[in-house]
Amino acid sequence: MTTTVLEIDGLSVATPDGRTLVHDCTLAVNAGESLGLVGESGSGKTLSTRAVAGLLPAGFTTGGTVRLDGRDLASLPGAELRELRATRMGMAFQTPRAHLNPLRTIGDFMIEGLVAVAGEAPVAAYRRAVDLLAEVGIRDPDRRMRQRPGELSGGLLQRVMIAATLAMDPPLLLADEITTALDVTTQEEVMAVIADLRRHRDLALLFITHDLALAGAVCDRVAVMQDGRTIETLAAATMREDAREPYTRRLLSASLPDEAAGVRQARRSDTVLEVAGLRKAYQVRAAGRGREELLAVDDVSFALAAGGAHGIVGESGSGKSTTARIICGLETADGGTVTVKEEDWTAPARSAPARRARARVVQMVFQDPYQSLDPRQTVRSCLAEAVAVHRRIASRDEIAARVDALLDAVRLAPALADSRPRALSGGQRQRVAIARALAADPEILVLDEAVSALDVTTQVEILTLLDGIRRETGVALLMISHDLTTVRRLCDHVAVMQAGRIVEQGPIADVLDDPRSDYTRTLLDSIPRPGWTPQRRLPARIVTSGGTR
Amino acid sequence: MSAYAIRQLAAKLGGLLLTLLLASIAIFFAVALTPGDPVTALAGGVRPTPELIEAIRAEHHLDDPVWMQYLRWVGGVLQGDLGTSFVYKTPVAELIAPRIGISLLLVAYAVVLITVFGIGSGILAAVRGPRTDRAVLIGTSIGVAMPTFVVAIVLIWVFGRVLGWFPVYGTGEGLLDNLYHLTLPAISLAVLYIAYMSRITRGAIVAQQHAEHVDTARVRGLSPSRIFRRHVLLNASPQILAVSGATIAGLIAVSAVAEQAFGVGGIGSLLVEAAARKDLPVVQVLSLLLVTVFVVLNAVVDVAIAIIDPDSVKSRRSA
Amino acid sequence: MSIGQLARGRTPAPARRAAAHDPLLVAAALVLVAIIVIALLGPLLAPYDPDQLYAGAVSAPPSLAHPFGTDDLGRDVLSRVLAGARPSVAGPVLVVAVSTVLGVAVAVASAWFGGAVDGIASRLVDVIFAIPGLVLAVLAVAMFGKGLLAPVVALSIAYMPIVVRLVRAGARAELGRPYIAALRIQGVGSLAICFRHLLPALLPAILAQATVGFGYAMLDIAAISFLGLGAQPPASDWGVMIAGGQPALLTGAPEQSMFPAALIVLTVLAVNIVGARTTTWAEAKDR
Repeated sequence: MTTTVLEIDGLSVATPDGRTLVHDCTLAVNAGESLGLVGESGSGKTLSTRAVAGLLPAGFTTGGTVRLDGRDLASLPGAELRELRATRMGMAFQTPRAHLNPLRTIGDFMIEGLVAVAGEAPVAAYRRAVDLLAEVGIRDPDRRMRQRPGELSGGLLQRVMIAATLAMDPPLLLADEITTALDVTTQEEVMAVIADLRRHRDLALLFITHDLALAGAVCDRVAVMQDGRTIETLAAATMREDAREPYTRRLLSASLPDEAAGVRQARRSDTVLEVAGLRKAYQVRAAGRGREELLAVDDVSFALAAGGAHGIVGESGSGKSTTARIICGLETADGGTVTVKEEDWTAPARSAPARRARARVVQMVFQDPYQSLDPRQTVRSCLAEAVAVHRRIASRDEIAARVDALLDAVRLAPALADSRPRALSGGQRQRVAIARALAADPEILVLDEAVSALDVTTQVEILTLLDGIRRETGVALLMISHDLTTVRRLCDHVAVMQAGRIVEQGPIADVLDDPRSDYTRTLLDSIPRPGWTPQRRLPARIVTSGGTR
Repeated sequence: MSAYAIRQLAAKLGGLLLTLLLASIAIFFAVALTPGDPVTALAGGVRPTPELIEAIRAEHHLDDPVWMQYLRWVGGVLQGDLGTSFVYKTPVAELIAPRIGISLLLVAYAVVLITVFGIGSGILAAVRGPRTDRAVLIGTSIGVAMPTFVVAIVLIWVFGRVLGWFPVYGTGEGLLDNLYHLTLPAISLAVLYIAYMSRITRGAIVAQQHAEHVDTARVRGLSPSRIFRRHVLLNASPQILAVSGATIAGLIAVSAVAEQAFGVGGIGSLLVEAAARKDLPVVQVLSLLLVTVFVVLNAVVDVAIAIIDPDSVKSRRSA
Repeated sequence: MSIGQLARGRTPAPARRAAAHDPLLVAAALVLVAIIVIALLGPLLAPYDPDQLYAGAVSAPPSLAHPFGTDDLGRDVLSRVLAGARPSVAGPVLVVAVSTVLGVAVAVASAWFGGAVDGIASRLVDVIFAIPGLVLAVLAVAMFGKGLLAPVVALSIAYMPIVVRLVRAGARAELGRPYIAALRIQGVGSLAICFRHLLPALLPAILAQATVGFGYAMLDIAAISFLGLGAQPPASDWGVMIAGGQPALLTGAPEQSMFPAALIVLTVLAVNIVGARTTTWAEAKDR
């Protein structure tokens, strides 16, 4: 017999000024089952979860019913409700660093719930906390208990968070985007921990994520949310076949592409950019060891063919972004050379005219569409500025015509030209950023995680756009990404970076389908897919606490 | 605290000492470069004869290079020789000594008022709901526009003329009488800072109430009072402490106004009087004293914050 | 959209509509306009010559002929208050203008060049910050003599560090954003980036600081005058008038001090309200 641990029926959430953001969230999590709640930004999945956890901002109102362990949350008085939530569910969040009190030790955090809520004696609570940390695979838990969150890496903090939710032996774990901020290999480790816990504890899981592939790989069933409604719930194993809603199908094709179809033929022509022996070191202050040198980029060499698409893949701290920034003149290399069209570009251009000359060859698109446009400029004035910089004596009409052409090139409606970034979606902003980069008619476009911050369906649109632009204009693409799937969609060559070094590079099909280095294989294995079993591994990580940027 | 944090803290305190050193140079040289010949002031109003000028210049080492004069001055100050007043011709130390106690008492009194009412009303505003919040907001909006001299004249009128409960002039005899006399000056000094601290406190607490780690504490079922003490107040305290340090240092300067208004013979009124009469040695030493107090207070605050939050020394540099 | 953004609600209404629903803001703006008019036209509006002795009885209470009463020398308090607006407002305006221009220049240079420039600027700012504004003003008076000029110059310097710290932090954050890097990669000149992008981004914070600074400068300058170190009697500066009227408080003629005091409080209050509201509005507009 199955019991339902969490039942959400017709849940709605409205803001204090009367806007309804969640219209109808309906789902049920059975004992021991894992249910994925999947949706893109604005779908209402996080608000629904927060409504269950009692974390809505002041003044928000809810409708419908939420039953936890069969008890209607709306019917319970404050203290009992708190007790029920504390003992019958645990919750882990996306950003463990922000969700742990930075001033108190891991030990304080672990013990507090046991002592203050469950009333255990401090000594017993300490022992139990150490056991829980060990259970989620944290080595040397006694030492960790004395440390503060600032001393631990994101992956470790997420495990601490998960360990703490287990303190009351709850039958249900709410996991809100718990791996979104982590590297893929760390994500795999955390998911492996969750899988072990579920096996040993008969723990039910409500797994909230934007990543349908991940949800499909780790959950029994998947509920899809769109515009504040749960539109369908599918068995994970057969979701590709069972999906009825067009939105679910779009999400599926964006998240789980047919791998064979995407592989591009590598082609070779003139080299437009050549990087040789590039090196960049940062002075870092390491706790207790004084200053030391961190090699962010270590002997990196590769070549980009004119009109080609070269990907650089790596996790945070691998040095891939630093490499891109050196090529664009935003950082200075400590060694090696950057050669663009047979000119030495290793040192950044100092004067504005020199920067303009380089700008007509290399342009860059940044990751965060919310910060890469000046919030005070309209789309038109942003693009006009970029055009005017390079055509110093162009007439007003010529500039306007060029701006229109750029908007057309990135498929942006002319009506949006007078909007400010605030009024645009993430995908639209990224199109503006691409148009701005194209204003100078560059020969190389450096894409620094240019689609990472976007929803998956938007990612596909932008990647398609970029591919089209490459075909039409012959611009070469240098794509920096942590995500092998997006690189596979766009690039013909790829270099894999780890800890500042290129561990493997070559034509995309060779590297991704027949990897020679262990690291590439690990990266490929850590991509969630149907039939995936996350592995616990402890790779020799050189950077343990965060990346360089 | 880790050895690393302690080293960082030491570097920070060293920076404060450097600030003190540079400020002392600035104060000395500003005065040394003051237009007008100090000899005229030193001669005390009489038109000096050339012999007298010679004698004065020799006695005060005025023919030495300026930096030698600076070193002599600093050396003297460190050994308790604060120089001689141009006006009274007595050692500056003898002018300051009898006045410093009453000034400290006044400032301490005001600090107690500011801590109790400023931080107290800030906490109430943050936790007691929108009506209290609004009342405190209105009060503090008016409060931050109420400088010491305005509060002083209102209090003098209300208590001196209308009610007569507290004395409006002088300092009295003995500690209790001192406190009785200093009540109105302390209130006049405190009002603006109470309003200011209240706003800072409320802001710091509200920011923490919305912090994500507080969400975690709520989901874990901790009681609201425990969350407030252990997660909100604790985390808001570094910011409140940091502002308190600067506030108290400023308070000592403003106490001059309260002392002047209520006829309290402290170092504040001494500073004003010395400035009015161009008694530069006194102004110099008192300025240095106030800067020293600022530096010491900030050092204490930095250490206190570092104990609560060892990471503060890494991230919160001088800016 | 984050939960925080949701809680803050929709994008704000245009300024004019917001103002119509905010009587406090309207009142504060009216007070400010009135003060500015008085500061510009003060002596012309005064019913009596502000310095005329025995225009009425000595220390007379308010009456039709003298709505604010008269002071201990029989001068008309209303006329003196009106005439005193100009020096009382001009001082803080100067302090704010000078400290803001200097502070923004130092802060932007410091954030832009970093390294040694930043190190020297930060140390300079630390030193100035360690000397309270009122002490620096008193020191200046001791050096250059009584009057308004020395304290105004001293306060202009004393108010600089706060501007530098605020603007430097803002400028560093702004310069770290990718849109600035994008502009550099475009080949846009440094000055163009500064004036067309960086300064407009910092403007709300600078304006907010300027209004707060105006209030504090007004209080500090009035305090200097109250202490007898700034404007000198028989000038009709508000701080001087408050000090001059102090003895009359105990003889039952509080008007001589109360009216100029009330005007100081009212002005600072109005500036604070207008400053706070425009800041909120400007921040919301840029979000």
